[in-house]
Amino acid sequence: MNWHQMWEIASAPDNVPIVALLFLVPFYVWYSFRQALENDRLIDKLSADPALAKTEYRKTEPWHPKWDREVHTWPYLMRVELVAAILVTVLLMVWSITLNAPLEEPSNPNVTMNPAKAPWYFLGLQEMLVYFDPWIAGVLMPTFIIVGLMVVPYIDANPLGNGYYTYKQRRFAIWTFLFGFIGLWVLMIVIGTFIRGPGWMWFWPGQTWDAQRVDFAVNRNLDQVFGVSGSWLSHLMPAANASYAPILARIIFGIFPLIVYFLVAGYLSYRLLLLTDFSRKIFKRMTLLQMVTTQLFLVLMLSLPLKIILRLVFRIKYVWVTPWFSI
Amino acid sequence: MPELPPDDPITTRPMAGLILISAFLLMLTVSWSLYDEFYGLRPWRSYQSEFGKAYSSYLEKQYKSRKTEEQKFYSTPEYQKQMADVKVAHDAARTSDQQIGQQIDLLDRQRAAMTDAFQNSRGLVGALTYQLEQIDEKDKSAKESKLKELNDAKAQTYEVAWPVEGGKIVPTQYNYQQLNDLFTSIMSGKARLVAQRGHVDQPEKDAQDKLNEYVKEQLPGLASRDLQTLSSSMENLDIKLRQVNVNPSGASLNNLGGAGLVDRCQSCHLGTDPLIVPVTMTLTKADLGLANSKDAPFTSHPDPDLLKAHPLEKFGCSPCHGGNGRALDTVEKGHGRYEHWLWPLYYRENFEAGCQQCHAADMVTEHAPVLNRAKQLYREKGCIGCHRFQGFDNQDEQLVSARQQITQLENQIKDDHLQIGQLNKKGDTASDNNAANRYYTQATNLTVTVSSMDAQIEQLDQRSHNLLQEIKKVGPDLKEVRMKIHKEWVPYWLKNTHTFRPTTKMPQFRLQDDEIQAIAAYIWQSAITGPELPKQTPGNAAHGKELFEARGCEACHSIGEGPDMVGGDFAANLSRVGEKDNYDYLVRWILNPRVRTRPYSPFEKKDLGPEDYAKHNLPFVFDLDHSRSPNDGHELVVQQMTVMPSLRLTVDDARDIASFLLTQKHADASYAPADFMDDPKLKAQGKALIQHYGCAGCHEISGLEDEGRIGTELTNEGSKPIERLDFALYTEDAKLGVLPSGQKSSRGQWYDLKGFFENKLIDPAVFDHGKYKPDPMDRLRMPKPNVTKEDIDALTTFLLGSTDPSLPQEYTYKPADQRAAIQKGWWIATKYNCIGCHQIGIGQRSVLMGLPQYQGENKQNLPPVLTSEGARVNPEWLKGFLANPALSTMDVNRNGVRSYLQVRMPTFFLSDDEIRSLVLFFEAMSSQAQPFIPQKIQPVTTAEKDMARQLFTSTSAPCLKCHATGDATHDKTAIAPNFLFAKNRLQPAWTQRWITNPALIIPGTAMPSGLFKRDGDHWVFSGPLPASFNGYTGDQANLLVRYMFQLTPEEQRSLVGRTTSGGGSGGAGK
Repeated sequence: MNWHQMWEIASAPDNVPIVALLFLVPFYVWYSFRQALENDRLIDKLSADPALAKTEYRKTEPWHPKWDREVHTWPYLMRVELVAAILVTVLLMVWSITLNAPLEEPSNPNVTMNPAKAPWYFLGLQEMLVYFDPWIAGVLMPTFIIVGLMVVPYIDANPLGNGYYTYKQRRFAIWTFLFGFIGLWVLMIVIGTFIRGPGWMWFWPGQTWDAQRVDFAVNRNLDQVFGVSGSWLSHLMPAANASYAPILARIIFGIFPLIVYFLVAGYLSYRLLLLTDFSRKIFKRMTLLQMVTTQLFLVLMLSLPLKIILRLVFRIKYVWVTPWFSI
Repeated sequence: MPELPPDDPITTRPMAGLILISAFLLMLTVSWSLYDEFYGLRPWRSYQSEFGKAYSSYLEKQYKSRKTEEQKFYSTPEYQKQMADVKVAHDAARTSDQQIGQQIDLLDRQRAAMTDAFQNSRGLVGALTYQLEQIDEKDKSAKESKLKELNDAKAQTYEVAWPVEGGKIVPTQYNYQQLNDLFTSIMSGKARLVAQRGHVDQPEKDAQDKLNEYVKEQLPGLASRDLQTLSSSMENLDIKLRQVNVNPSGASLNNLGGAGLVDRCQSCHLGTDPLIVPVTMTLTKADLGLANSKDAPFTSHPDPDLLKAHPLEKFGCSPCHGGNGRALDTVEKGHGRYEHWLWPLYYRENFEAGCQQCHAADMVTEHAPVLNRAKQLYREKGCIGCHRFQGFDNQDEQLVSARQQITQLENQIKDDHLQIGQLNKKGDTASDNNAANRYYTQATNLTVTVSSMDAQIEQLDQRSHNLLQEIKKVGPDLKEVRMKIHKEWVPYWLKNTHTFRPTTKMPQFRLQDDEIQAIAAYIWQSAITGPELPKQTPGNAAHGKELFEARGCEACHSIGEGPDMVGGDFAANLSRVGEKDNYDYLVRWILNPRVRTRPYSPFEKKDLGPEDYAKHNLPFVFDLDHSRSPNDGHELVVQQMTVMPSLRLTVDDARDIASFLLTQKHADASYAPADFMDDPKLKAQGKALIQHYGCAGCHEISGLEDEGRIGTELTNEGSKPIERLDFALYTEDAKLGVLPSGQKSSRGQWYDLKGFFENKLIDPAVFDHGKYKPDPMDRLRMPKPNVTKEDIDALTTFLLGSTDPSLPQEYTYKPADQRAAIQKGWWIATKYNCIGCHQIGIGQRSVLMGLPQYQGENKQNLPPVLTSEGARVNPEWLKGFLANPALSTMDVNRNGVRSYLQVRMPTFFLSDDEIRSLVLFFEAMSSQAQPFIPQKIQPVTTAEKDMARQLFTSTSAPCLKCHATGDATHDKTAIAPNFLFAKNRLQPAWTQRWITNPALIIPGTAMPSGLFKRDGDHWVFSGPLPASFNGYTGDQANLLVRYMFQLTPEEQRSLVGRTTSGGGSGGAGK
């Protein structure tokens, strides 16, 4: 184990946020779940006791009848925020005193640094480049992410769970978020920081980042796996254009897996939307447009981990190869 | 009663403690940030206060001792006398000085009084004139009214409180013109008075100047007053950021682009600030009482002369030293020794790398001994054989380019001839006369062009001839190995290079036994075998030893092993030469090392033999005068590519020396038989290996004459990004600071250029360590150079400094004048090791000067000192001498000038270009004007001739006692050159300086000083004068020089053995 290098990576001023993220993200997930579950218990209690529900306003436990129904923002909220603000200020000041901005040498167009890494918050995007063409990973996918986040309020047909922590009333939203943010975004950032070394090769923690490491790995396209050569197609085509047969065959072939994926994933997401009584109720409130949009983004989101698995486990580079773009 | 509910935590939980603690934390952080701002990030503050204290107490001490010294000095009678002179002069001038002072004062007051009025009136008139000019010509009435206004303004008077002598004030009215005139007269009056005062004060000023000069002479250094001022200012040293701003025109100095350079080094290194430590002072850590302190960056610049040549205002610090001149946070940052600063401070042993970036083209740089040593090493150790370096000996490249140019020109001429024919034909068939003439003119012009191209080709041919002569190889010619070397020795040498000869230049290759066999086989089988050398009879080894020591062989060669080694390290150590060399070959080699067995034709790519010459009915003769191929007329390589010169020995002497050298061997030496060397199967593999290892970079080898350099070019090696250097399996260790030896590196991380160069030079195979390379051909090829730790430091310095020029062009040192000639010549002088025998530069010591046979009295047997050679000799003569040091084509077994010296000026077979460069070098070293125009010599009259003759032979200066005359019996005791050479050889001005005071020119010379003494504006003989000199007013030294320059052989012969006693007898003595 190369602890020296491990420490160098973890202690680089650039990577401090990521080390913090490793601890902070699980902590806040746990903390918000704790609050949500507590609220869920309260909701259960109140829905079981309508009398209590009439007097119960403060959505915290334990509750006592003589306590004020409402408290003022000032000072009860503000003072807590004050302390938080002070502590964050202290933290930022200590941080800025002890760690300097990680400046590097003037760029040299003749030398590419190895590994060449984006700022930590973009490492997820950079990691996506391993699995998709730049045009898709760098343009299309981020656009989907942004548009997907923008449409969330419009496709949300669930009237409950706004303004307080709850798990029961928002299971679908919470799991979608956890999957998309932690499962994909944060994980890929962590991979990009700690796992990807020189040559963007996969280094397990503790393995020395050796710029001269040599790996043997063959990535193939799905059509190559299936041996699509277009030979039968060339018989059907005019002799003058026969040389295009392999390309055409690949294009035609690649569409099928995509169609299959969309059908299967669409059906699965449909099943997901109808999983529980609660979700069926919500489903009934949705318009066709809302439903189709939701499914579309779910299907697109699922395509990323699927491609990661295809690539890392099955060494498949592209599913659909065309002369203009490949997926 | 219901139980009371507990208090609501939201409203009742006390927060005061938490807020207090966080507020406290905040305050703590704020103070930390303030501390960091003022001290943490500004370590120079504490340096400055430490320096201030230490330096002021040092100055205080200096002041005290200086004060006592000055007190003592002030009481000396000479000082008192001069002081009194000043006072007398002062008193004498006082009255008139005061008077003038009063007058000046009055003028000043008058001017002050009129200033307001004068400015107002001038302003008004000026404004009105402008307005008048702006009115349109057509608007006559407006113009007239404005003109009137202007005249009124000019006539307007102003009241001035006019001071007059005696302190009274008279209010007076003046108009514009009067004010103008007054102002002019006041200004000119004052100028006159100031000049007058200067005149009056001159005697005092002169006396004071004299006094100051005297004080400066007697008490150099800072005066106590200055020391006191400095000391008191240091006590309250203003703690501030100190920086140098350099704003060069054009490109950037700091590699950051455009913005100019800001170096703040002096914020910590206060001793280098001339405002704090005056340039006349040096400051060391010990001076400050901080000798043992590790961290006290206070010394002044160790080389003030260097600093004078590179003023701080123009160069700053970091362009030479490296480092991040702007950074001040930490020592590490300022010195730029962190990952991302590309120009770290050079380490102490490498600091001369900073010189190289501007002095890359200079083969010799003053103040940079380490760098100069590296450049010598780079050539002498044969680095250049594999690694090209811009500016180093590149005659081979020039030769190729000259050949290409010749081919191009020849093609051009062929084309032009075709075109001339076509043009003439067109002219013949042209429709009218005009057109025909045009074609004919074009054709004529082309013929002229062709003839000028012929001239160019002629020049290029001449240049090629020179270049072929100049190309030298570091190692010996391996074509003649069969004639020269014992067969069994070759494989032994390849395996044990550094054991056999520990001082050899040849690096040790890492060869497998089968590789050695193949290489030896190729060399042996490709070598030429004849024509057979003449058989030589054995010589006298004892006499050979004497000759070896006397003729100057040891200026280049050493002999003896280990501590017994004597001689220079320029050429091979000869102690075991008897184990390897053949006698016949050695005799020929000593006679003339440049003699080849067969000439090589670069055009035909083969060694020519007698058969080639016989085909054309020519004798098998080839030398510098017969250097063209009989087959095709192209230039041949007719000499060995060695720098070793011919000593012009007789065959007998050569045999004696060779016999002596063959006695140099280990008694028990024996070599395993090497029959494989005749195995033809090994030849192909051997050739491939020789090509692979680049042997032809240093050796001449059959079939590989045109091999290129196999190594990487190193001209810009210092700019190579670290990523491009392969540390291989040591990458991690280098970053951790673990050396290949397993020890910790003393400077920590060595993952940088310095670390790479050093470790590569220590062990060139180091970066192969741990690599799996079963095929030896894949392994790193660079052989282990025979270098010391100092050599490695020097070479590392050289490579570190060899960067892409990042400084603006104007910073590059491009001497266009004599300094360029000096550099070029010095490079040639070191190429042939002229400095092994001669002292050429002031302070330089030759190898011979250190040898036991030239100590004490025997110093006079040393070759001449050449420090003033350019002024001494006529360059025309020097050209001839360098080409033929015997100054004769018949009698060559002697020195041309100093025939009495045992040590021999050899014949170097220099090319015309080299002779030209060397002559220019000597001229430039003595600041001689170019081109040379000989000084006119006044003819001596008959009377003068007689006088000079007497002087020449006088008993107090018997010139011919020491100077040679050409008479064999006389010359046995001669220790100085023949006077007959003077006319063509010497320059009269130098000769006069020489005879009047030779010790000034060459300290320790056998030529007596004080022959002449100064009498008024001319020299007179200091011995007793012959009577004929009575009444002679001319310069006697000059007379002697003139006589000497007109001396004829007959005249000299008549003087031999004659002495003239001084004092009156007149006429000839015996």
